[in-house]
Amino acid sequence: MARPRRYLRFPWRSSSRLRADLEEELRFYFDMRTRELVEQGMSDADARREAVREFGDVEYTKRYCLAEDAMSRREERRTDYVAELRQDMMHSWRTFRRSPGFAVIALLTLALGIGANTAIFSVVNGLLLRDLPFGEPDRVVRVWGAHKDSGVDRSQISAGDFIDLRTRQRSFTALGAFAWGGGTYIGTGDPVRLSGARVDANVFRALGVRPYLGRTFVAGEDSSGVNPTIVLGFGAWRRVFGGDSSIVGKTVNISGRANTVIGVLPPTFFFPTMAEAEIFTPLDLTPLLRDVNRSRKFHNLGAIGLLRPGVTVAQAGAELKGIAAQLERDFPQSNSNMTVATMGMRDAVVGDTRPALLVLLGASLLVLLIACANVAGMLLSRAVSRRQELAVRAALGAGRARLVRQMMTESLILAMAGGAIGLAVALWGTHALVASAGDRLPAASQVTADATVLLTALAVSIASGVVFGLVPALAASRGIQLALKESGRGTSSGVSRHRMRTALVTGQLALAVMLLVGAGLLVRSLVGLQKRDLGYSIESTLTFELILAGDRYDSGAAQDQFFDALYARLEALPGVVAVGGSGNIPLRGGASASLAIDGRPQPEGRLPEVGYQPVSDNLFKAMGVPLKRGRTFGPQDRQDSPPVVILSESAARAYWPNGDPIGARVRLGPNPNDPWMTVVGIVGDVRIGVDGESRPTAYVSGRQDHWGGMAIVMRTTSEPTSLLPAVRREVRALDRTIPVSDAYSMKQVRTQGLTDRRLPMQLMAAFALLALVLAAVGVYGVMAYSVAARTREIGVRVALGAQPRNVFGMVVRQGMGAAAAGLTLGLLGAAALGRVLTSLLYGVKPTDVFTFVGVAGVLLAVVLAACLVPARRAVRVDPLEALRSE
Amino acid sequence: MTKPPIDLLQGTVDVLILRTLAWEPMHGYGVARFIRQRTEGVLTIESAALYQALHRLERKKWIRAEWGLSENNRRAKYYSLTADGRKQLREEAATWRSYAEAVFKVLEPV
Repeated sequence: MARPRRYLRFPWRSSSRLRADLEEELRFYFDMRTRELVEQGMSDADARREAVREFGDVEYTKRYCLAEDAMSRREERRTDYVAELRQDMMHSWRTFRRSPGFAVIALLTLALGIGANTAIFSVVNGLLLRDLPFGEPDRVVRVWGAHKDSGVDRSQISAGDFIDLRTRQRSFTALGAFAWGGGTYIGTGDPVRLSGARVDANVFRALGVRPYLGRTFVAGEDSSGVNPTIVLGFGAWRRVFGGDSSIVGKTVNISGRANTVIGVLPPTFFFPTMAEAEIFTPLDLTPLLRDVNRSRKFHNLGAIGLLRPGVTVAQAGAELKGIAAQLERDFPQSNSNMTVATMGMRDAVVGDTRPALLVLLGASLLVLLIACANVAGMLLSRAVSRRQELAVRAALGAGRARLVRQMMTESLILAMAGGAIGLAVALWGTHALVASAGDRLPAASQVTADATVLLTALAVSIASGVVFGLVPALAASRGIQLALKESGRGTSSGVSRHRMRTALVTGQLALAVMLLVGAGLLVRSLVGLQKRDLGYSIESTLTFELILAGDRYDSGAAQDQFFDALYARLEALPGVVAVGGSGNIPLRGGASASLAIDGRPQPEGRLPEVGYQPVSDNLFKAMGVPLKRGRTFGPQDRQDSPPVVILSESAARAYWPNGDPIGARVRLGPNPNDPWMTVVGIVGDVRIGVDGESRPTAYVSGRQDHWGGMAIVMRTTSEPTSLLPAVRREVRALDRTIPVSDAYSMKQVRTQGLTDRRLPMQLMAAFALLALVLAAVGVYGVMAYSVAARTREIGVRVALGAQPRNVFGMVVRQGMGAAAAGLTLGLLGAAALGRVLTSLLYGVKPTDVFTFVGVAGVLLAVVLAACLVPARRAVRVDPLEALRSE
Repeated sequence: MTKPPIDLLQGTVDVLILRTLAWEPMHGYGVARFIRQRTEGVLTIESAALYQALHRLERKKWIRAEWGLSENNRRAKYYSLTADGRKQLREEAATWRSYAEAVFKVLEPV
């Protein structure tokens, strides 16, 4: 009897019990003392009175003792609890040691489930939940131009409209405008192309930026005639300027102009909706405002405002829309059907990623549920083999609550250990996720594992421990009475437990089916996008951007000379088929211009808008865009020759539905004094971006509209990027101050464009695969258990003449039954939930039959495979042994 | 009723109880009787203080209580010394001894 006290000691006593004990203790004292005094010769009554008198303060003593007892009881309870917890933990440890296979599989399952969740959550946390790095992030608002007729709601605003909006509005304490900017830094080494924005002083005020060094712009700095200044982003400052801490006050050469550095922005800052911007120069609106043809017709501005306290985004939006309506009435020629759109900055920044992230978060939750169901199933099976152990513990006095607690301790230990591994998985996964998403994730730098993420992982672990632990624990404790009576033959509790496991597996299969359908739809979308005809060829094509910098390129002739020389040099390179240049490549979007046609009446409101690109002579050849009619541009089209234009097929069809546009005269852009341009050719349509459609487009010769830069397209016979060193050499030979930037093969550009579709697809596919494997393990587990539990029954059947084929079929049928149920539920669920995917799909319906059928096939095959091993084991059951073993 | 300094009183009672229980487990009445006999009536401890001390010492886990049968076959709460209590007794006895020695050193030359 080493430690008998554990079982024999008082259980925790109630307060009334404590009081009764004390009364009894004192009564014993008084009785004994009274008897002693009587023996000394006192009368009974006197003796009792004397005993009480000499005792002292009885009432106080009682209170004192009760208080002490209550304190001991509390402490006892606590130490007991701790001791039991330790005991449970040691017990769990021993249990896991005894079945390491179970522990490893359970841990891995949980680690993957929890890890996937935590990784996705940390991205969601960084992008959707955390504050943007602005002074008052909830009051920052993005303002766009919008077209009521075409439904375009994220376009630019004209300078004239912006000034009117700014002066008339009362909703914002600051409303600032910005436009594309950037330039080429020309230092001592190679020139560097830097993306940037031109901003007015109000933009940084609205964003509430505290500069890392120096200051940001002040009012008045943005007017012309002032010395040019520049603010550097943290990244550019570190990368290009070596983190020079005394840079403020120095001048840097940007595109041939000397700019004085006045400040450096903090590392957390990113420019919202233009996150790639790294240098900021003042925005001067006066030239545009002075130009009557462009002040309201040239849309190039974005706007950012800081709401006045108490004003909502909706109120501000309504006010601005009112002002826009006024402008529409005042300037119908430029503003008809034009309005503005407003959005809180968080929505503006994460808007496109939100649905994908939420879908992925949901998917990772489903994976976690499947993982929990798996572990729960494993625990249920184990509970069977542990029935004897539990029964012994119950016989030794452990109550049902105590046993449940012990099993819950086991589950929680599993969950916490799984969570710890899962966290490691998550840290790695988050890293990989951010790395592969790269610049497609706005503010990716904000995605880190912070306290919120760690706490979430902890909470998820505990929650999963409770979820997968409670059911088996309750089931096991219920089975104990039965276990005490019999030795574990096919009992009724065994049947109900088996039913529970089958239900778990059915649920798992249903969830896996939903994930598979989701993944299948995304894969189909991506494949569709990759296969679709863009209207030009992206095979063996290299593209890069050249921006001319410096005063010597002010004249169009100088630009023509540079580009003509460049095209000649590049076409002379071995392995080059054709070289062209374009304002933008279609994968990256494009500009637009209004279209007026000679001889047709001026429309009531605005002129129609068409796509607009200046292109070089050989661009269509280099891109592989077919010429449908007429001619392309050639050396005869010069700056001083009659202006010409080439239309896309859809433009020709849209504006000359019955006639021939060749020879017709059009005017592009808002200036009525510009000369008419003659249509000389028609080319095939090209699609814009990776998933956009084609739009009616007008092409002009790069020699007749000079942009100061071109996106170069080279068709090659070899691997396009292998030509890059030669390309850089040729460019440097022409002008060493001009950087070759954004150099990629056209395929790489498309790949980049597909990143924000590919990433959700890959993750979804990974989740679906994980879900499928987990569900298969679940099916295998339940079938193996079922065969083991039915060994005797199978033995009887075989003894009575059942053929192996029948036995095999019986097992497989049982598995396929669960599969069919899970499949039906899953497909119904997928059909119901498919709508949440709509925004992520391209060219497939959420209820795509092909996907659904494919998923059904995959699932049935996997379940069949999972049933094979148990079924073969059933076939091999030896009837004699099976019958004897009981 | 004037009260002596409570700490001294408590400490004294505590150490006497611990010493008493070091002989054998006893019920409260037994402890009171033992101390009375042992000190030949010189030290009379109020039974109220004694019981308070017993419950206090139980809370401190220096003694533990179990119900048992008394010499006249009644249910009584028996106290016995724990390992912690034994350690405590040794320490307090040493303190008392050095205290008494110091006092005697002052008194002796008279």
